[in-house]
Amino acid sequence: MQRKVAVVAQKQINSADVGMPRERMLYELVKSLYEEVGISRDDIDTFVLCSNDFNAGHTISNVFEDCPVGAYMKDETKVEADGVWAATYALARILSGLYETALVVGNSQGGSVMRPYLMMDYQLAPVYDRQLGLLNELSAAGLQAHAFLAKKGLTPDTLDEIAARNLADAAKNPDAFNGKAGASAADVAATDMLYEPLRKGHCYPFTDGACALLIASEEKAKKLTDRPAWIRGVGDSIDTYYPERDVVDVKSVKLAGERAAAMAGIGLKDLDLVELSAKFAHQEPILLEGLGLPADGGAASVSPSGGAFGAYAFNAAGLVRIAECFKQLTGSAGDTQVEGAGYALAHGQDGLCMQHNAVMIMSSEEG
Amino acid sequence: MAYNKDLETREVQATWDVTTYQYKLDGRGAKVLADGMKEKTIRGIKCPQCGRVYVPGPTYCRVCYIDIDDVVDCSDEGVVMSYCIEMADVRGNPMDEHRVSAMIKFDGADTWFIGTVHGIDPMDVKIGMKVKAIWKDVTEGNLGDIQRFEPV
Ligand SMILES: [Zn+2]
Repeated sequence: MQRKVAVVAQKQINSADVGMPRERMLYELVKSLYEEVGISRDDIDTFVLCSNDFNAGHTISNVFEDCPVGAYMKDETKVEADGVWAATYALARILSGLYETALVVGNSQGGSVMRPYLMMDYQLAPVYDRQLGLLNELSAAGLQAHAFLAKKGLTPDTLDEIAARNLADAAKNPDAFNGKAGASAADVAATDMLYEPLRKGHCYPFTDGACALLIASEEKAKKLTDRPAWIRGVGDSIDTYYPERDVVDVKSVKLAGERAAAMAGIGLKDLDLVELSAKFAHQEPILLEGLGLPADGGAASVSPSGGAFGAYAFNAAGLVRIAECFKQLTGSAGDTQVEGAGYALAHGQDGLCMQHNAVMIMSSEEG
Repeated sequence: MAYNKDLETREVQATWDVTTYQYKLDGRGAKVLADGMKEKTIRGIKCPQCGRVYVPGPTYCRVCYIDIDDVVDCSDEGVVMSYCIEMADVRGNPMDEHRVSAMIKFDGADTWFIGTVHGIDPMDVKIGMKVKAIWKDVTEGNLGDIQRFEPV
């Protein structure tokens, strides 16, 4: 990369019902970040917001987000995708040399304001899938889950175990809300069946949430903190709409991972942890295989924060994954800390059955 | 083979009715305004730093980026900041009765309030003219308490 760029600070709010409007939620989140870092909105060169018109329930979803993040009369732009793309955009803006600091803020209120599954219906092809009314986000995930289990010769017990591990990890993470201390596979197997083989316990929780990341150039980052986490590589790849590809062998995550690793100058096996946006239990092993890692992650801890099971607010989710990598690489992950974490990968996804994947590789050392 | 629009293109109708949203709103500024309207008074919230008076009041100043909660009374008279005469609906169908919708800044407030101006020929409405709120006889504490605006 032409310049060194780092994540300097993170803040998250995640809840089943945050109990306040989006505008107030964003104001409290970002104000607390400014106070913690000891800066004001004057110190931000560019704002990158990340939200979605369906989630917000009105078009131009950022119109009521600018003032509460402090962007009044500032340079601002919006990404309508998962947060990893927004962070990548902020990185590109700093790499351009035009900006030294960027504040990235993603949010949605899928816990209390609207149901995310319904919103996903409108990602279906309007002239075929939507007309038939047979498919939705859950049934698409169920189709993918069965295809995965059949291909690997596994039973749904595997899904229970994956979900239980994530839920137990999320219980140790104060930024997650959906954890369950000591969760067992039996606990997950006792949850309601939704679209067989998927039970409620295998699915991401409906979440009101927001995440803010402060990203800065090397010079500025060193002034703002003595413990930054360095962005070393990003990668992105998009596949076709779901019926025209193998939904188990997700080539786009493989390509995204390889592109990021090449930029970072490391191998994916050098990672100490991966923070995955596996919205459904079966997506975790699919993502690991795509990244060329063993099903247990091998040397890499898999979503020590509890991943998407602890909280999954659309648009904020990918930023939360980056925030969790930041916590790990700066030794501030508390009870979820991976000892000696040097390299971490954050993943975000969009689309049915993970059509679009993006990753960011970060390191504790400057490199 | 060239694409033949007459042979290949079909029309399919689809709706886009996503869901119902259970929005939350800042209760403080809304309650301040609604309670004031019950008493036929316009109430906003003032920022102690920049002096802006918002109607309805938010919980923070959007310019100064600080929490605010100073309730102030404004006049129910104000100035037409701009207006337009509705001669058609949004789909372009002509309307038999023309209506003036105007942005009004109450005296003592810094934000604009939408309303309709009556009691004047639409062609005579001017930017900068003084208008006053015409209240319902029995107010209920909601935005419907202002029936219309008329020239002072
Ligand atoms: Zn102010």
